[in-house]
Amino acid sequence: MNYALQAKDLSVNYGETSVLWDVTFQVPSGVILGVLGPNGAGKSTLLKAALGLIQPLSGKILVLDRPFSEVQKKVAYVPQRESIDWSFPITAEEVVLMGRYNRLGLFGRIRQADREAAESALNLVGMGSFAKRQISQLSGGQQQRLFLARALLQNPDIFLLDEPFAGVDLATEKAIMALLKKQKEEGKTIVIVHHDLPTVEEYFDWVLLLNTRLIDCGPVSKVFDRKNLTNAFGKEQVLFSEAADLSAKKMSGLL
Amino acid sequence: MSLFDFFTDPVLRGPTWGTLLMCIASSLMGVVLFFKKRILLGESLSHAAYPGVVMGVSFFSFFFPAHEEWIFLAVLGGAFISSLLGLKAIEWMEIKGKVHSDAALCFVLAVFFGIGTVGASAMQLVNPVWYSQIQMLLFGQAATMSDSHIFLYAVLSAFVACFILLVFRPLQAVLFDRDFAKSSGIPVLVLEKIVFWLLLFSLILGIRSVGVVLMAGMVVAPVIAARQLTDRLHFVFFLAACFGALSGLLGNILAVVGSSFLFPEEKLNLPTGPMIILVGASLALLSLLFAPKRGLAFRLFRIISFHFRCLKENILKALWKKRGISFSDLRKEHVVSSFFFRLALLRLSQEGWIEKRDEMFVLTPDGVQKAALVIRLHRLWELYLAKSLGFEGEKIHNNAEEMEHILTPDFEKRLTAFLLDPKEDPHNQPIPQKEREL
Repeated sequence: MNYALQAKDLSVNYGETSVLWDVTFQVPSGVILGVLGPNGAGKSTLLKAALGLIQPLSGKILVLDRPFSEVQKKVAYVPQRESIDWSFPITAEEVVLMGRYNRLGLFGRIRQADREAAESALNLVGMGSFAKRQISQLSGGQQQRLFLARALLQNPDIFLLDEPFAGVDLATEKAIMALLKKQKEEGKTIVIVHHDLPTVEEYFDWVLLLNTRLIDCGPVSKVFDRKNLTNAFGKEQVLFSEAADLSAKKMSGLL
Repeated sequence: MSLFDFFTDPVLRGPTWGTLLMCIASSLMGVVLFFKKRILLGESLSHAAYPGVVMGVSFFSFFFPAHEEWIFLAVLGGAFISSLLGLKAIEWMEIKGKVHSDAALCFVLAVFFGIGTVGASAMQLVNPVWYSQIQMLLFGQAATMSDSHIFLYAVLSAFVACFILLVFRPLQAVLFDRDFAKSSGIPVLVLEKIVFWLLLFSLILGIRSVGVVLMAGMVVAPVIAARQLTDRLHFVFFLAACFGALSGLLGNILAVVGSSFLFPEEKLNLPTGPMIILVGASLALLSLLFAPKRGLAFRLFRIISFHFRCLKENILKALWKKRGISFSDLRKEHVVSSFFFRLALLRLSQEGWIEKRDEMFVLTPDGVQKAALVIRLHRLWELYLAKSLGFEGEKIHNNAEEMEHILTPDFEKRLTAFLLDPKEDPHNQPIPQKEREL
């Protein structure tokens, strides 16, 4: 079986609050997957669990049919732009070069080949002239392009992007999407955490609807309908999360 | 006594080289903590070492009262254990107790230091001789350091420097974007463990020279000074190490020279540890004030020159609208200090934009061009606000008053193209046209 991303009975907690609850799904490779759901639905957590950044409470999540640690070199992760301190003293070029660290190991030196690859990745996202810039001087859209260049340099089989379009201008959004579509045509899988519903049908061919529980997962034409959306974004969810919260507090002796 | 003596004299070289090398190690660790946003950790851990020092010395004095030369082992061991306990307490409070990080750090600092102080005063009654040993470690006693200390601190700083040189890039990645670093297979947890142990060793070994209370200063001050001066991480490391070394050296020199200068008769000495910290703090302060890009002094200068330019341009505008204005009429329109105003007029005529004719100020032909450009920017911006953004009323004019001084030639070009080279502003005033470029 060839799944780019699959989870089985996956549950993740932050402290006592459950963020993902018994999530099971399979996503085939070679698709652009949109991970959709309201704020706090566990979208970012799902990515972090896939990357081994968070240990699940129970269940498992596999990337390219393997645990993440075995396929780590084939995975590129783009974190949320807001999670980064952009005043950090580093240039655009140095950020992109991080895309090679997974191959260089702890003590490897940057080679000329890495530098030239970084340069062409920067050119690919239209940032060639910004190589020597401090990252603090870049606009939101440019910062996101930079992260994409870093991911491209990793030459992965699967991209995991956390809200790549947050705070980004429309031109950049379209440019990023075009680049990712090209990657998909080369057989790569692209997973995008997204929250803008009107663009869903244009951008994605698979959709994963999430609100702590899995609402649905499948091709966009089958899954992306009103009933599922109400389930994911509607008020029906509130009772469930309140009860889950209450149960967690009882269990931990807070109530 | 020459500068050279501080490095070679058998009595002076111990403190000089010792503190210099110790400061390099702590400054480098300070850079890592600074970008990890955990700079308070240095402060908390060094204070948390104090009760351990007290316990260590009292145990030692009880069991081996005759071996005073080995007491440093008790001091180091005690400091080590109690710093580690302090760290565990902080972690426990943050993770299990859900206490905010700053609160946990300060709580541990205060409680541990309090326990240490109580222990020390108990010592004072029971064993006054050993008490002085403990007191010494509050503010350090660099002046009594020997060649063995040079060796110790050389090894420490070599370890720290080699670690940073070897793993500079992965370390940079961890500090910049920890999740990404982890996802790309960098052994983040191993690196963080090593960082922590190096920090702990730098702190507890440093206690001997600058003391529990001031140790954190040597972690913080150099990186603050260095951060102001550069935007490249490796330069921050390099400069912080330089500032650290400089503080160590100058602190020693000031303590020795200052003592003989202030108290030539008495046998009083300025303490070396606090002098080192003072030098470090002064470097940080100087850097905050006078760093070329971010320094307060230069920023103030840039703010004042900008205001001066605004004033000059406003005067040009006034003269453009009404050809020929007397000094007193012109003065009325501009609410600034008289000196500033006269200076602006002086500069404008020196630069060839205005001249005085029959006690009236008028624009020179060049001045007319320059003033027209300011007016053009003002009216272009007004039109843009009204037409494209739907602004109304007073706001338009007020905002344009500000923007006319800000807009660059590039903006002007883009505005002109965007508004299709307009001829009139929203108040139906003509927009001065630019000469066509060839």
